[in-house]
Amino acid sequence: MESNPTLSRDAPFSQYRWGGKGFDEYRRQDGQVRDAWKPIAGFLDSLGAQGIQARAEEADRLVHQSAANFHIDRKDAPARPWKLSTIPLVISPAESQVLESGLGQRVRVLEAVLADLLGPQRLIKERVLPAELLSANPTYARTYHELPATSPRRLHLTATDLSRNHDGTWWVTGDRTRAPSGLGFALENRIIITRALPQLIRQSNVHRLARFFVSLQEHLASIAPRQRDNPRVAILSPGPRSYRYFEDAYLARYLGYTLVQGRDLAVRRGRLNVKTLGGLLPLEVLWRKISDQKCDPLELEPDSTEGATGLLQTIRSGAVAVANDIGSTLAQMPALLPFLPAAARFLFSEELALPSVATYWCGGQKERTYVLQHLDDLVIRPAFVITGAAPTVPASLSLAGREELVAAINANPHQYVAQSRPSRSVTPVWYDQQLQPWHVALRSFQLQTAASVEVLPGGLARVSPESEPLDQSPTSGRLGLDCWVIGEHPVDTETTLLPPAGETIRLTRGGDELPSRVAENLFWFGRYFERAESIARLLRTTMTRLAGENELVDMPDVPRLIAALAAVGQLDPDYAIKEFEKALPTLETVLPESVFDAAQQRGLLASLTNMMNNASAVRDRISLDGYRILTRIDDELQDAETFASRDMTATIDRVNRLIPAMLAFAGLASESMTRTHAWRFLELGRRIERAWQTAELLAATLVDVIADEQQLLESVLRTRDSLMTYRVRYLHQLQPAAVIDLLITDNTNPRSIIFQLQRIDELIVELPGDATEAGLDQDEKLAKDLLHQVQMPDPFALSRVGEQRTRGELKRLLEFLIARLPQLSDAISARYLIHTAGVQALTGRLHSHGFPKK
Amino acid sequence: MIAAVSNTVRYKIKHQTRYRYSEPVAICQNQLRMMPRTMSHMLARIESHQVDVLITPEPDIVEQHEDYFGNLVYTFAIESLHRELSVTIDSDVSIHCDPYPKSEPSVRWEDVVRGVSDASDDRWLEVQEYCFDSPRIRRSQRFADYALASFTANRDMIEATLDLTRRINHDFKYDTTATDVSTTTEKAFDLKAGVCQDFAHVQIAGLRSIGLPARYISGYLHTVPGPGQQRLVGADESHAWVSVYMGPHLGWIDVDPTNACRCGTSHIPICLGRDYNEVSPMRGVVLGGGKPQLQVSVDVEVLSES
Repeated sequence: MESNPTLSRDAPFSQYRWGGKGFDEYRRQDGQVRDAWKPIAGFLDSLGAQGIQARAEEADRLVHQSAANFHIDRKDAPARPWKLSTIPLVISPAESQVLESGLGQRVRVLEAVLADLLGPQRLIKERVLPAELLSANPTYARTYHELPATSPRRLHLTATDLSRNHDGTWWVTGDRTRAPSGLGFALENRIIITRALPQLIRQSNVHRLARFFVSLQEHLASIAPRQRDNPRVAILSPGPRSYRYFEDAYLARYLGYTLVQGRDLAVRRGRLNVKTLGGLLPLEVLWRKISDQKCDPLELEPDSTEGATGLLQTIRSGAVAVANDIGSTLAQMPALLPFLPAAARFLFSEELALPSVATYWCGGQKERTYVLQHLDDLVIRPAFVITGAAPTVPASLSLAGREELVAAINANPHQYVAQSRPSRSVTPVWYDQQLQPWHVALRSFQLQTAASVEVLPGGLARVSPESEPLDQSPTSGRLGLDCWVIGEHPVDTETTLLPPAGETIRLTRGGDELPSRVAENLFWFGRYFERAESIARLLRTTMTRLAGENELVDMPDVPRLIAALAAVGQLDPDYAIKEFEKALPTLETVLPESVFDAAQQRGLLASLTNMMNNASAVRDRISLDGYRILTRIDDELQDAETFASRDMTATIDRVNRLIPAMLAFAGLASESMTRTHAWRFLELGRRIERAWQTAELLAATLVDVIADEQQLLESVLRTRDSLMTYRVRYLHQLQPAAVIDLLITDNTNPRSIIFQLQRIDELIVELPGDATEAGLDQDEKLAKDLLHQVQMPDPFALSRVGEQRTRGELKRLLEFLIARLPQLSDAISARYLIHTAGVQALTGRLHSHGFPKK
Repeated sequence: MIAAVSNTVRYKIKHQTRYRYSEPVAICQNQLRMMPRTMSHMLARIESHQVDVLITPEPDIVEQHEDYFGNLVYTFAIESLHRELSVTIDSDVSIHCDPYPKSEPSVRWEDVVRGVSDASDDRWLEVQEYCFDSPRIRRSQRFADYALASFTANRDMIEATLDLTRRINHDFKYDTTATDVSTTTEKAFDLKAGVCQDFAHVQIAGLRSIGLPARYISGYLHTVPGPGQQRLVGADESHAWVSVYMGPHLGWIDVDPTNACRCGTSHIPICLGRDYNEVSPMRGVVLGGGKPQLQVSVDVEVLSES
């Protein structure tokens, strides 16, 4: 964007004013800037609007780079719920002390309430809490009573949603005690803002977040049933379809934990294990990000695939620690909010320091009457579950909708709560190149250890020009902000878990510890990557040929290249190839169109999409630099869907940008990935696909001999990136035998088939060997057989033209390769990758009702 | 077909479950709720003398615990390849049943509802959770209307309950092909057919829909062969019925909608819960197995009567 001369002279903060209702985070009522803000505003004003804008753009770029926009499902599942705005929410030392002690108390109370509900239930016996909070609660599985507390606590990491009242007091709008999301985003926000405003954050005494994460690591290690000095800790994620997956991967990488999904886990010999290529490795601690009911299909929700069968039994026997404890979802039900002050008095004789937003549980007769009389001032939510759905706003309902709501509440009063809208403070937000007063919602995070409650000095702030959208759900709001808690004194700057700046190439954590699922994703990532590159090269050669000549008679090679494109799946196979000779103009449309055709399942666009899907499933295994390159390729792809100009020249340009990006990733993989099993599976996928692509290309072009082969031989060499090598060796004499040698039997050419097969043979030998079952070395046999078949023939014999102008020996070899390479891929899958056979349920009941049938 | 009521009957029960798999099973993880326990929560009392669990192949992991409802849960895992699984539970139990009092105190059903809903009933806390929805049973006006035909104004609690029990037995067809283990209570109600599980679910749904606490009991029923017939081994059934709360004086009383009767010493309760999901006798997950073939037999033998 061109710099705006009026922008550059502005001092935006000195001009920023908020005249509306609600608490002003920036200025006191007397118009003075709050102390904590003064140095920050001063620094930012000294940058001027242009300077702030530059930092904002830098932050945007960093967000993008850190793959925050690295889409999983492209349109449906953006990796981040919000964009990040540069200027933080600022919390003064005095306020942070109030928050810290209030939040600490709240966690203690919630822990005690939970322990009571899953234990003696004194709160219910003494009528402090209505019994229906449990008995009418569909999320209350009685199984939770059968699990011991992870000594001595059930709640480990919790979150609290806050809003600031007009008088400046903080109010709690909701608790998250199950598996709160957002900690990863809070961390990512801080890391990015630290890079965008390094000097400011250094000089502002901003409390670092790293200490909290060190405590988190120490705490999770301390709850391990064994190996407390170095326990194996895994984050159990719901998987790439969830909005949580990005931050799960982010946290796993930051904390050095293994990221797993349900199918990576197996309970054996009474222990919880992660399935890896090297076998089962026992886990000591599981930080679960899935719902309580999904943790174990044997004892909880039978259809769940997100948890591990038998997990509850390993918890009962004390073999694994799960955080937060299964059952902790009960402490976050909205229906608990109105009863929490009484519970705090009953349990601790304390008054709650932080009030909760006014909440009425409709299960109580008086409350229900009040709610039905004041519907217009309230919003209605489910009493027992927290959903991402917006609350019902009675004031905005039609008469019929309102009657329906009243009927629903009267029919099932226990299932509803009504809440007042919280009042929300206003903070300066940099948006649209200027400061704007926006409403703010803050999520704080707490860690409960055996000794105390630690509060993250910071949090996840969401902002929106209007207050209401922030009430919708914990992910609603227009932008995200970092939150700075200012210290009285210079803060500790030593603690950090971050790798030094510029570290990027750690791609895996270990060899045999590679989860089989990750190996599978990397293998397929490699195959799709190579497929995309091969097709892109073939398309480029073909389109460049078409763009350079006017008459098809001058391009005898083109029909063969088209046949090759059909063989590899870029063009419809039953495309009438002969017709092209008469229909040159169609070709000029068909080829560019095919680049953007997602319907061709083996085509370029589908291959890139599959490649990205596999990459996003193994996010935590791919370096930041790797991300950057993939994001670039992804951008080409995203863009492709709306790409207007589909003429051939523009399409050639596009493919020209794609190929170097892919080479950059290949280079990174080759130079920066340690030679672990992760790398081997990626390599295996690429080598198998490259050999197969080459075999298909040669079968389509050189088996049936055309009259003038010169141009075709050149195009084939160009497509396989071997033209230069050929020219250096043979100058301009294009001889079939020499071309066939270079592309098939020359083991010095990294593009030749034999080169791929030699690499495959070496790679398979290096994979973990565990020959306990018959037929396990099928992959090794196939690899050796393939290599042998390609080592044998003489290039001159292969190039010999026989009857019907066909190269018979070449044909036999290529057909063999084309048939066997997919078998090799299957054999590798069967041996290492397919690790979950069909699971079925037993009921012990004949036609399912228990009566023996005669 | 129901055995005559006597004070105490001692039974030997053998419950065998055998799976044969077409493909090998790599691992199987199971939970059993088939083991009797000593309990007295009603006029009948069950005393468990001995329980033996025999599983082949021998499990690698075995764990026993008591669940929220007090049921004994036996968890096991077999982690070596197997093509057959056999689970046999041999139990030795006594059922003591006090004869029904000549004149049981009459309780109006509305008073039971009121005592639970306003918590004036001493046992309110213990029984109230059986008034609400559970995984398989949702209260509704339809179920309430069906139950209210028996629960007319001011009617005696036992009388009304037995009337509902008899009506279900009359209105519903016992049909092992009509429903399966996962049939919803609403569906069984629509079909007016099913097996003991469905009958029990429907009655519980009706009772809860009008505010009465009701729970699900799994167990066995001892049947007496007709004159001159040998009692068939394996002919006795794994059974289910309903336990209804009738106020602080009467407590929980068991009724059997499948057989239109009040339960006595022929009913051997094993587990209780809010519905089938919480007491299912066997629950398991296997890896592999192909197409399994199942054989089940239950044999209930009287050891002594007094």
